[in-house]
Amino acid sequence: MTRCDVLLLAALAAVALLMFPISSAVTSSGVSSAVIHSPSGTSGVSLDEPGRYEIAGAQGVVILEVENGRIRAVSAECPDHICVKSGFASPGRPIVCAPNGVSVTVTGIRGEGLDAVSR
Amino acid sequence: MQSLADTRESFRTAATAALLGVAVVLGLLETVLVPPVAVPGVRLGLANLAVVVAMSMFGPRQAAFVSLGRVLLVALASGTLGGPGFLMSLSGAMASLIVMWALSTRGTVFSEVGWSIGGAAAHVAAQLLVASLIIGSSAPLAFAPFSLGLSLPTGLTVGYCARLLLSRIPELSLSAAGR
Repeated sequence: MTRCDVLLLAALAAVALLMFPISSAVTSSGVSSAVIHSPSGTSGVSLDEPGRYEIAGAQGVVILEVENGRIRAVSAECPDHICVKSGFASPGRPIVCAPNGVSVTVTGIRGEGLDAVSR
Repeated sequence: MQSLADTRESFRTAATAALLGVAVVLGLLETVLVPPVAVPGVRLGLANLAVVVAMSMFGPRQAAFVSLGRVLLVALASGTLGGPGFLMSLSGAMASLIVMWALSTRGTVFSEVGWSIGGAAAHVAAQLLVASLIIGSSAPLAFAPFSLGLSLPTGLTVGYCARLLLSRIPELSLSAAGR
């Protein structure tokens, strides 16, 4: 390992450290909101504070619950309750109650899981 | 009768092909041994070992053959040719090659360890940039400090392994390589 190797290593390590504040500014912006589509219209919901929303669907009422920055359907007047079983919504994984025409989409950066692995 | 130049050329061709095979196997072995970690784009980069050795023994053309050939073969074998992962791999490999070639032309200023570190960092940077372009968001860049930081120890390790390997390749084959 030559002196210049060490200098290169140090320079790159410094760049990586300096990038931390920049990257944390990017990640902290806008994760926590959801958009609810229903036959009665479209509305935005903040996930920052807990709450309960009753959404009038085509067949009946869908009850959505926000807790710990996440949103899920707790009950729905529909035959299969697929939306209730699907649990919490995440970016790229919406809640859909097809019989009622209600869907919930979480906006923001997709946090977990890989969508491609390069080899 | 075979001339000395022919012998060297044959050796170079055979050794480059063997290194390409080693690169493919190391890359596949790595995906089996080390599952993808939470930070996307971070890998041990074992396959780069063969690229560094090719660059050191024969030069940039053979290194490019090993590196780009590996990306293509693995994409064909895993059915990801043309997908986002393939584009990221290809751009990472090309950026890494360019940086390693640039460092290797500086004579003895940088050793194989330096090439490997520079190449690993360039690989990560290019992958994240291409990922951002593909999904049209700056979100992947949020991983940049982690990925870049982790690429340094892996680049160092691979570079050291390459040096160890090169020091154990017999003099004879190095002189036949014409370097």
